[in-house]
Amino acid sequence: MKPGAKKRSVLVVDDEASVLMTYKLILEQQGYDVVAAPTSKVAIEAVNSRSFDLVLCDFSLEQQHSGFEVIEVARKKNPDVPCVLLTGYATLETADQAKQKGIEVLFKPIDIAEFLNTTAVLLRSDNEPIKEND
Amino acid sequence: MRLKALELVNGGTGILNPDGRVPAALRLLQAERSEEIYPILLEEIVRMGFPRALILSTNFETGAIAPSAAIRYPEKQLARFNTSLFAADNPLVGLMHNLKPAVISRPEYSPRPLYCHPIIFRNANVCWEAERERKVDCLATDNFRAKRRLDLDSQVCRTCEMRAYSALVVVELQKKMPAKMMGELGGLVELSNRYLSRLYKIEHYYNRMSDMEVTISQMNSVMMSMADPVILTDTHHQVIMQNQAAARFFKLPEVTTEGLVRAVELNNMLFSAALSSMAMAPGETHRDLTLVDASEGEELLFEAVSVPSYSRDGIPAGMVTVMRDVTDLRRADQELQANYEKLRIAEDIVRQDRDRLNLVIENVGDPIVVADSDAKTVLLDPLAQALFGALAEGSADPVQIKNQAVLDAYISSFTFSFANTEGQNLKLNDPATRQEVEFDARSGKIYDERGQVAYTVTVLRDFSAIRKLEQLKVERRMLEIEKFAAAGRLAATIAHEVNNPMEAIKNAIYLLSGRVNNEAEPVYEILKSETERVARIVRQMLGLYRNQESVKPVNVNLLIEDTLLLLARQMQRANVEVVHDFGDLPPAVVAADQLRQVFSNLVINAKDSMQRGGKLWIRTRHISARHDLHGWIRILIADTGSGIPEDLIATIFEPFVTTKGEKGTGLGLWIVKGIIGNHGGKLSVRSRVGKGTVFKIDLPVVRL
Repeated sequence: MKPGAKKRSVLVVDDEASVLMTYKLILEQQGYDVVAAPTSKVAIEAVNSRSFDLVLCDFSLEQQHSGFEVIEVARKKNPDVPCVLLTGYATLETADQAKQKGIEVLFKPIDIAEFLNTTAVLLRSDNEPIKEND
Repeated sequence: MRLKALELVNGGTGILNPDGRVPAALRLLQAERSEEIYPILLEEIVRMGFPRALILSTNFETGAIAPSAAIRYPEKQLARFNTSLFAADNPLVGLMHNLKPAVISRPEYSPRPLYCHPIIFRNANVCWEAERERKVDCLATDNFRAKRRLDLDSQVCRTCEMRAYSALVVVELQKKMPAKMMGELGGLVELSNRYLSRLYKIEHYYNRMSDMEVTISQMNSVMMSMADPVILTDTHHQVIMQNQAAARFFKLPEVTTEGLVRAVELNNMLFSAALSSMAMAPGETHRDLTLVDASEGEELLFEAVSVPSYSRDGIPAGMVTVMRDVTDLRRADQELQANYEKLRIAEDIVRQDRDRLNLVIENVGDPIVVADSDAKTVLLDPLAQALFGALAEGSADPVQIKNQAVLDAYISSFTFSFANTEGQNLKLNDPATRQEVEFDARSGKIYDERGQVAYTVTVLRDFSAIRKLEQLKVERRMLEIEKFAAAGRLAATIAHEVNNPMEAIKNAIYLLSGRVNNEAEPVYEILKSETERVARIVRQMLGLYRNQESVKPVNVNLLIEDTLLLLARQMQRANVEVVHDFGDLPPAVVAADQLRQVFSNLVINAKDSMQRGGKLWIRTRHISARHDLHGWIRILIADTGSGIPEDLIATIFEPFVTTKGEKGTGLGLWIVKGIIGNHGGKLSVRSRVGKGTVFKIDLPVVRL
């Protein structure tokens, strides 16, 4: 990361507080500006109040809310924002649905290396591939 | 000294009459035959001075009385004397009955008076037979003592069967005959009669004896000509007489050997033993007797029939034994018995076979029809009888009649075709429900020893029953699949619940990397690797969860292709060459996602066993099976990997058994086995360490 460069901003949404906390810490360790939202409501508020370079969102959120809702709102504001759906239910339907909408899918339990690689690829400014880092 | 031959006078009697002639009494005594008496008598009567004489004899056969001898009577005058016993008014006949001499002074058939002297067979002593039998019933003495009129109709001796003679000596008288001469005449006639009776008696016995000789020789020839041995024994069981057939066994031949002597001795011993024992058991007349044929040394079995013989006075005289050779008879009897036994056994076997066959036919559970070479039905099992009616009675049920017509058409076309077997669908109606039922008819031909069709056998299988069974199978399978899916959902739910906390733990461990001190490093590593393992298990369990999917007919080849496509990159990276050989498969009702998981698990296992790359074969085939309607789908998945050690083969399908160490979950094959089991399939494995592994899946084809 170049010093002085503007920090990349990431919105991460998960209804499990401990999971949300660890994602936030890992992403901050990578030098990103991370906003962690425990509910869809908080997430949508965040999306509406500012812009993000990447949205990572759990599929199943509180009270039957789904990650798609949050992503939809984020896309409305910025159609080009890269989005990743994190899901514990490895259903093909969800995956197909996400792929149709141009949303990346990561299945829980997520391999940390894959997680870091995916986020890095989606956040890089140029098309240079980023070195994998364990 | 000279001897002078002297001539005997009168045959040595030396008795001569004063005139130098032989006296009458001596002449009669010298007669040796009865026929000589009458001529002598007549000659002596004439010599006494009577002019002429004749003798009338009675023929007892006809009752005729006629002259039998005459002297100085011309032939034509004799006829006058002919009369009969039945001529009661003839004085001559009367005289014969009264046995009294008399003078007839003026008979119409004679110019001069006639002296008539009746004579008859008579004797002072009883006949020899009566004497031997101590009887007094004798004609000779009866006639001798006769006081009254004789019965000339029954002049036969009741004891010796001798037939008497009855005659009348008729002498013509001159006018003057001195009384002394008449007395001499009567004496001469009586004397003649006495000699005649004596000769008659001797001749009778001589005749009887020669008759007996004839009878004996006839009997002898009968006995000799009999093929069966006949033996006459005395009371001491000594052989008196035997025929040639018997002599073969009981008499030593002229040229003999030691063996023959022994055989004959043995036979005699056996025979007298048999006779003795028969004598001891009165009433027993039959006895089996084994004798040795002296000339051929062969043992023969005889049946001896012995009858005691008695003399005329009822005294036992011995035994007459007739023996019948029953060797052949007994042998034939034994053979007959043996053949009968054989027949009985054969019949038993046939009956058992038939019973067994009937049992088989009755228990097949499908209607069976046997028809003869004319396509005429000869046998129906109870199920077939329900469809077509009983064989003997014919049927009055229109449904059965219609079924019969369909069957007859089918069987006759098969019987007269060249095919050995035939299969066809027959639409019949169930007589009970009147509903149409489709049957699968399968027929075969039974040939006789000449290669001609003897019978055809047709088995009918009820398609609807098979279909029903098929439906039941599908339902059961879907239930199993659903149960498995439910278990999968439960597992997935649990896994999901575990997933989130584990996600946090895993992330936290990552965040701690580089921050634990050296002492804690090994513990940190354990934490890291074990958490990864839990993550893998959770991933596997999540894989079981699928949205409810409908079970529908699919082509299994396409499922495999899908799986291979998904895994193509992985395989390429692992340097595994994939070769597939898909056969034509019928569509099958399966849970597509579950099968995809089966193939994916097996393909990944194969890949993991080939660390340095290798080859993977997948082959599918449709196997038609006799007992399943649609057959089986066989899938072979083979690799050239490291193989499974022999001691592990038995446990690889159990949960949490893995050969991959840290990387495996031990659930893959367990899931495969569960899914195949739910589909009613069979899963087996063959493996050799260092060579590779082959998994074989057989899935029954089920259709809706």
